[in-house]
Amino acid sequence: MDILAIQDLKKSFGGKEVLCGLDLSVPEHSIFGFIGRNGAGKTTTMKAILGLLKPDSGRICVMGEKVYFGQTRTNRHIGYLPDVPEFYSYMTPLEYLHFCGEISGMDKADLVTRSNELLELVGLGQERCRIKGFSRGMKQRLGIAQALLNRPKLLICDEPTSALDPVGRKEILDILLAAKEQTTILFSTHILSDVERICTEVAFLDNGRIAMQGTIAELRSMRPSDGFMIETEQRETIGTLIKAFDDLKATERNSLIFHGNKERFFDIMRYVAENRIPIQKIERIEPTLESLFLEVTK
Amino acid sequence: MKTLFAFMKKEYLETARTGKLIILVLLFALFGVMNPAIAKLTPWMMEMFSDSLAESGLSVTNVQVDAFASWTQFFKNIPIALIAFVLIFSDSFTKEYKSGTLLLALTKGLSRYKVVLAKSALLLSLWTLGYDLCFSVTYGYTAYFWDNRIVNHLFFAAAMWWLFGVWVICLMVLFSSLLQNNTGVTLCVGGTVLLAYLLRIVPLAKAFSPAVLMNANSILMGVEKTDISIKAILITVSMCIICVSASIPIINKRQL
Repeated sequence: MDILAIQDLKKSFGGKEVLCGLDLSVPEHSIFGFIGRNGAGKTTTMKAILGLLKPDSGRICVMGEKVYFGQTRTNRHIGYLPDVPEFYSYMTPLEYLHFCGEISGMDKADLVTRSNELLELVGLGQERCRIKGFSRGMKQRLGIAQALLNRPKLLICDEPTSALDPVGRKEILDILLAAKEQTTILFSTHILSDVERICTEVAFLDNGRIAMQGTIAELRSMRPSDGFMIETEQRETIGTLIKAFDDLKATERNSLIFHGNKERFFDIMRYVAENRIPIQKIERIEPTLESLFLEVTK
Repeated sequence: MKTLFAFMKKEYLETARTGKLIILVLLFALFGVMNPAIAKLTPWMMEMFSDSLAESGLSVTNVQVDAFASWTQFFKNIPIALIAFVLIFSDSFTKEYKSGTLLLALTKGLSRYKVVLAKSALLLSLWTLGYDLCFSVTYGYTAYFWDNRIVNHLFFAAAMWWLFGVWVICLMVLFSSLLQNNTGVTLCVGGTVLLAYLLRIVPLAKAFSPAVLMNANSILMGVEKTDISIKAILITVSMCIICVSASIPIINKRQL
């Protein structure tokens, strides 16, 4: 079942069309990477899902329920972490979680247990100070705790790692991986290594539309191999190969890269065998997420 | 209802922890003390300046002050306290829009109308608390020095001014739901009050202007009767209800 389904979503700001017929479906129990350049419309899409922005047209359904602008009924299924979460700085983390639980109508006993459990999960269990003195990473972690508080079916994270240092990023990604057991995660970003690390499914947003969607393996299989890398044992043999095949390019010390069809590759292999050239390694170059992203967004 | 109370609790906690409550209490208590104090010190001040006044041809005779002087001072000072109140709380909504703190509360399922109701309740209760404090302090000291009974319709005049403050707060709520920053809110509230004040010049419209409620001194002196304010009271109460009710659909349509 799709936990989130978006059909033909359109939104313009002052004549500039940001979303032009976006279609997206997020299956249950996935970590869904929503990838796009800065200004591609990721935050706009997320705010429309939360009923905070009015789309010009289109339909959004969360858990099969239609989302209406200005109404927050469907938000009971959703936990939201904005890119820069802002909290009431005069509260302590525990007070803030209690406030969130009270406004979402949680049972008091459950709220106390759940708040302590989540603060432990995000590493803020011992924090008694007010949020005022928190670092960006600590705020991001508290943001995840508040988003997971009412056990949402869908957790929406808007670029949760983009402003953090490598340690902070790793912590957030680990927390999201741990949260995967409880919820479906829609995770917008432009940091592709984060996507490769945790996402099970990916969609590329470009020019207000989904340009590509699927699992990382599916996306890679959609594009043909980028070629082969041949590494020889001896450096001198590289020159021989380049003389025989002018489409081979030297990269590192003993390596050659070849972009071309399979027949040409077999010709090279035949030449290698006939001339008994010692080979260290032959590797097929798979398209990376980065190369896919650049291809989709060029 | 539970969620409304939870948001109201947060509002009061914010007022207390950000120091606004203590500023408010000190401000209104200070004005409360100042009203009888200024009245009490007037003869002494007149005596101090008698020499320089005599040089300019004015002779100061024995100045008598009573409860009227203290209450006249109260109704002169309360507009300043109201302006300070508006300035302190004009960012109650706009600060939340700008910082994005409201966004998280709304994504937790909090209805937008509850935000309007909770913030209106906070502002009205704080105005009532501050106004009552100022009135009680002035009343106590005035009763100690003079006799409050000589003042006509004191409680009615005070209630009129309180209602004027309520109207200003309801305007704050309305403009806060419409505008993005607190400067705009303050300017629009100020502009509307000025408009109401100017309306008093138009003979036909005069009785309907909420600014009539500021006319407390004439009632204290017995120059004007209490029934002259009835139309203005009814108009003001209706406008307060309209302002808060209109804020709800406006904030519901607001893109955050």
